[in-house]
Amino acid sequence: MTGGARLAWICGGLFVILSVVALGSLLVGAAPVPPGTVFDLITGRGPGQGTERTVVFAIRLPRIAAAVLAGAALAVAGAGFQGLTRNPLADPSILGVSGGAAFGVVLGQVSGLGQGIVEGLGLTALGFAGALVAGAAVYLIASTAGGLPVHTLLLAGVIVGIFFSAAITVLISIVDTNRLGGVIHWLLGSVAPIPPGALGVFALATAAGLWLVLGQARALNLLALGDEGALELGVDAQRVKRRIFAGAALLTGTVVAFVGPIGFVGLVVPQALRMLLGPDNRVLVPAALLAGGAFLLAADTLARTVVAPAELSVGVLTSFCGAPVFIWLLRSRAGRTSP
Amino acid sequence: MTALCRSLVLSFCFLPGIAQALTVVDQTGHAVTLPAAPRRIVSLVPGVTEILFAIGAQDALVGVTDFCDYPPEARRKARVGDMLAPNLEILVSLRPDVVVATRSGNREETFDQIKRLGLPVYLVDEPPSIADLLRLVGGLGQLTGRRDAAAAVAAGLERRITAVRQRVAGRPHPRVLYVLWPEPLIVPGRGSLVSELIASAGGESVTADQAQGYPRMSLEAAVGRAPEVIILARHGARTGPAVREQWQRLESLPAIRSGRLYAADGDLLHRYGPRVVDGLELLARLIHPEAFK
Repeated sequence: MTGGARLAWICGGLFVILSVVALGSLLVGAAPVPPGTVFDLITGRGPGQGTERTVVFAIRLPRIAAAVLAGAALAVAGAGFQGLTRNPLADPSILGVSGGAAFGVVLGQVSGLGQGIVEGLGLTALGFAGALVAGAAVYLIASTAGGLPVHTLLLAGVIVGIFFSAAITVLISIVDTNRLGGVIHWLLGSVAPIPPGALGVFALATAAGLWLVLGQARALNLLALGDEGALELGVDAQRVKRRIFAGAALLTGTVVAFVGPIGFVGLVVPQALRMLLGPDNRVLVPAALLAGGAFLLAADTLARTVVAPAELSVGVLTSFCGAPVFIWLLRSRAGRTSP
Repeated sequence: MTALCRSLVLSFCFLPGIAQALTVVDQTGHAVTLPAAPRRIVSLVPGVTEILFAIGAQDALVGVTDFCDYPPEARRKARVGDMLAPNLEILVSLRPDVVVATRSGNREETFDQIKRLGLPVYLVDEPPSIADLLRLVGGLGQLTGRRDAAAAVAAGLERRITAVRQRVAGRPHPRVLYVLWPEPLIVPGRGSLVSELIASAGGESVTADQAQGYPRMSLEAAVGRAPEVIILARHGARTGPAVREQWQRLESLPAIRSGRLYAADGDLLHRYGPRVVDGLELLARLIHPEAFK
């Protein structure tokens, strides 16, 4: 099988999985909407108004869209960071970017900023600004005359991440008790129905980030040869690193701003795919996009149904379900292929 | 033809109902306009649930939160989940005419989400004073079309409040430390309902000069004010004997020396419903037991 055909099969298969998960997610929920009604509604034959229409179009669909976008963004960012740092443990939080974004959003919540701005875009802007500040700080700390050495980049990311998580703790300890619950709820990470305008912004920012990382998938393979090796094959390693870094930071900042800091997806999805599909980034990155979306959507669907009418935070569930699956994969693959 | 006539007649019957649009101003000063007096209300606020029952509007209450456990009948209402993340699907499928939410306990995002779903939101906030609590009772009476019942409830509460004030009038004001939460130490500060309740019960809250609302405070600062009465708020079973023991160890405090370390049911004092007055009476008995002999 040629590389192109293999990629098409894998992506096709993953797309089918994503579609099945999305369909399942559309059918289940705390409100009793019969499957037949859901089908009528999405095929345009349902009633023009009413509770069921609101549930399907104003609650379930936007939430499904947000979960898929966030999962895809996190998994691709993770694949990008792992390729970039040539470190299987890298994920969006390791470069301090999600910490910076989270700080921006919490700052907005604590000071009452970002409220009242149309459709909550204020908090988004703050989260994004935080991500950019953290990303830029990491970049400046790590960049030397010789380029962007990976171990310095990782260290700088960890330090910046620790700094921002401490800063969040400071904010939490001075926040008004009335707001504390909301802040902590947000820090756990949860997908909510995002209004159409904001969802559009989310989609555009995610698309830009995906474009930056996906376009570098081939170059990412060559980075594995080391900077000099890549240069011999005609790849400017520094330029590639900058683009992937910017793209992954954009993806992470956007996700944190819209659904909160959700862990584990960026680490586990690319890892699991690497074990299943091999290390070729030309397959891995697009596969991560689809699998990440399906994974987070499945997790969010569980989060909103298992304890209904209450809801779990999806960030808790991704770790809770993702860890055992990951361990099983790790053990069953151990000795056969090295990750 | 007859069917058409009937529907015409029917629509005329309903016209007066449409004309009776109801506009009320909620506790945050926003006007809420409803096509008619709401017949289906979802309350996201335990205190509001209690007030609605007290003024006899419980039949219009179709949904409550997991925390709405008083009066016991409230537990039989449909539940929409917790206060931070109520389940929007369930909320919508209850088809409420209005949703009552609070700024202190719910999240802004929740109000926005509910409004986007086309449901009117009547917003309340923790009343900073007893007078504001009574106004909230009146406001909910207006909303539910039960002004008279609400006025009667408010008047009854006011009578009991006056009675407590008269009982403790002219007595010394012992220094009271009210512990809302032990770790971290959270206390009633300036402009909070609990601070006013302590003052009305004839005590002097040692934390009434702290930051607005319910701020954190260092244990040293609290101990340094030598409270003569310490009241620990109970929240279910979690803050029981262990916390009591911690305070018991601070033997040099006047309150501990004289054995005046008490527990009080937090649901009475922190939930802004009619039972706040039960809480006031409880505080008065703890602070001035001699006045109730």
